[in-house]
Amino acid sequence: MNSLGVGSVRSRGSLQATWLIARREIAVRARTRVFIITTVILMIAVALAVALPAILSGKSKPEHIGIVGGDTTTMSGIVAEAGRLSGTQTIAVPEPSLATAEAALRNGDLSAVLVANTKIVVKQVPLAGVTGATATLAQLAGLSKLIQTVPGAAAAVAHGVTLPVTGLETPAKSLSSRLTGLFTVIVVWILISVYGSQIALGIGEEKSSRVVEVLLSSVRPVQLLVGKVLGIGLLALAQAAAMVVVFVIAGFAAGSDLVHGATLGVVIAGGVFIVLGYAFYCTAFAAAGSLVSRQSDVNSTIMPVQLPLIIAYALSYTVIYANGANTFYHVLGFLPPTAPIAMPVLYAAGDVPVWQVVVAALLCAAGTVWMARIAVRIYANSILKTGPRISFRQAIRESRAA
Amino acid sequence: MTSQELELDGLRRRYGSVTALDGLTFRVPAGQVFGFLGPNGAGKTTTMRAVFGVAALDAGEIRWRGRPVDEAARRTFGYMPEERGLYPTMDLFDQVEYFARLHGMDGPAAAKAAWHWIDRLGLSGRGRTRIDALSHGNQQRAQLAVALVHNPELLVLDEPFSGLDPGGIDDMSAILAERAAAGVTVLFSSHQLDLVEDICEAVAIIHHGRLVVSGTVADLRRGDRPRLAVRVAGDRAAAWSAGLGSSAGTVQSVRADGTAEISITSTPDSQAVLDLARTAGSVEHFAYEDLSLSEVFRQATGASVGQAEAEHAAARGAAVTTGARR
Repeated sequence: MNSLGVGSVRSRGSLQATWLIARREIAVRARTRVFIITTVILMIAVALAVALPAILSGKSKPEHIGIVGGDTTTMSGIVAEAGRLSGTQTIAVPEPSLATAEAALRNGDLSAVLVANTKIVVKQVPLAGVTGATATLAQLAGLSKLIQTVPGAAAAVAHGVTLPVTGLETPAKSLSSRLTGLFTVIVVWILISVYGSQIALGIGEEKSSRVVEVLLSSVRPVQLLVGKVLGIGLLALAQAAAMVVVFVIAGFAAGSDLVHGATLGVVIAGGVFIVLGYAFYCTAFAAAGSLVSRQSDVNSTIMPVQLPLIIAYALSYTVIYANGANTFYHVLGFLPPTAPIAMPVLYAAGDVPVWQVVVAALLCAAGTVWMARIAVRIYANSILKTGPRISFRQAIRESRAA
Repeated sequence: MTSQELELDGLRRRYGSVTALDGLTFRVPAGQVFGFLGPNGAGKTTTMRAVFGVAALDAGEIRWRGRPVDEAARRTFGYMPEERGLYPTMDLFDQVEYFARLHGMDGPAAAKAAWHWIDRLGLSGRGRTRIDALSHGNQQRAQLAVALVHNPELLVLDEPFSGLDPGGIDDMSAILAERAAAGVTVLFSSHQLDLVEDICEAVAIIHHGRLVVSGTVADLRRGDRPRLAVRVAGDRAAAWSAGLGSSAGTVQSVRADGTAEISITSTPDSQAVLDLARTAGSVEHFAYEDLSLSEVFRQATGASVGQAEAEHAAARGAAVTTGARR
């Protein structure tokens, strides 16, 4: 009945089996109500987190624009028109001099100052450039200047009709960039801890139900482990991608600064460290899961695995909201267990140059290989042992002896 | 046919101070149901796990058709471990089909084979039921379906009869006989020697990780000394047998109903025994009798299966105590 089917596929080897195992993980997990509900909740949470601040600020806060020099009526007209075009409520505030206007700018009473026919001054020019009412104002005021000085119009057009926008302070990494960093860190943290414990629980299930003995009669332990972390990893990646898509769509739709301010670099660094972080931790979680005989013991064995992540995650808030990271956090950024969280934070906060991010990523990749080799040995050695929980020390010692 | 066989050669395995396998050697021919028997703790499970590479060996080799067993060969084996295990939340069909595919079958063939065995094992209509929602008996059948679905060339079943009711035992033995008749090498273990003596054609009996005897059940039960069972009416103590000379036969035991079990050295002796019995009274029962497999075990080892298991349990308890103290 099936001798042909068996014979023809038997030679295809180990990749086939690994993929079958990965596919089962995806099929079994993606179908569960828990997975569908958490995915929907996460996406709604991301959409709200991005869109709400933008919607609220857009409605409640009119922008005060200072005007210096020129004809007050004309200048107020330009400001009002800029507000209308950009969909923001703008209020023109005449200022006696540039000095008083700049003082008002610094203490936050004004969001921009229009210096007649000369320039627009803001407190700090965002890295991604000016947006919203200020950008429209710069264009309108430039146009107004062009009209007033028709003989020089050609020259003005050659230089562009937009007035220059200058900042009072040198630009630093904006809050929105830091918030993108925070968003990345939350995603890394959720994905690794949620999917990591799913790996450990899944392996605990295979061990406690003893199905693992049937499995290992036809596949090798390393195939079983790789198939499992690959399947769960693809699911995690799909969920992360969905969250990023929602982040971008919701951000643009609500006109949030988060999207405009988010530099591509932070997003790329975050993506790289999501993959590296999962790769580093997935085998460690698998090894932890293989130590228990009952599924209920899984939570206590994965605690030591999660500890470095918890530390880096907790400290990341101080870096995001304070100015700059201390030396300790810089060190965490280069250690493979903490780098997946610490490095994106440091980069988003503008505390490290790109080459240091690359070095940390390479170190983390090397650490991943090292971790996988130890974890696979622990797993292969422990997965068929029944009885009381095996300690990490015992598992490492025995895997060395084996 | 005889070239298709499993050879276990000099298997050794120690767990700390406990010797599980001590140079175990025997062969399993194809096309018959082969029983792998011995008391609990004799090393049966370790041996079967070693066939699948799930337990490591300190020494020895397991060969399939003359070649050491490797991964490709194992994919043509079917296994039902002593500790049954399936994914509790997967449904029956998905589970059986998954294992068919892990053994190398392609999608359509795997699905077809899965439905075939679900029906064949009396699980029709349960294909979409979760494993943990099946009854205990049906979970056993599901486990057997997983072992059979890829049409294995060697079937290894660890204690397949344990926990089955009489109907289940009949079903299981019918399936094993059917597979053997199809040319499959069937090896199953049991610690209940007498329960399975009618099920298998040949056996290997082990004790302390060593082979005690192996051969066809018929040869082993006949033994090297034929045995007579003789009962004389009204003689509950079999007093008549006191007149037997040591040359004619030896009384092994007397049953409650007065039947004497007498071992004789040659067939003509039986007539001398019969003559003696007839002088004592009317002979109600006179027959050659085979040994049971547990008697074969007792003759060969000097201990009953029950004694051997008690001894093993005591040794295990001692090992656990030592472990705890350390």
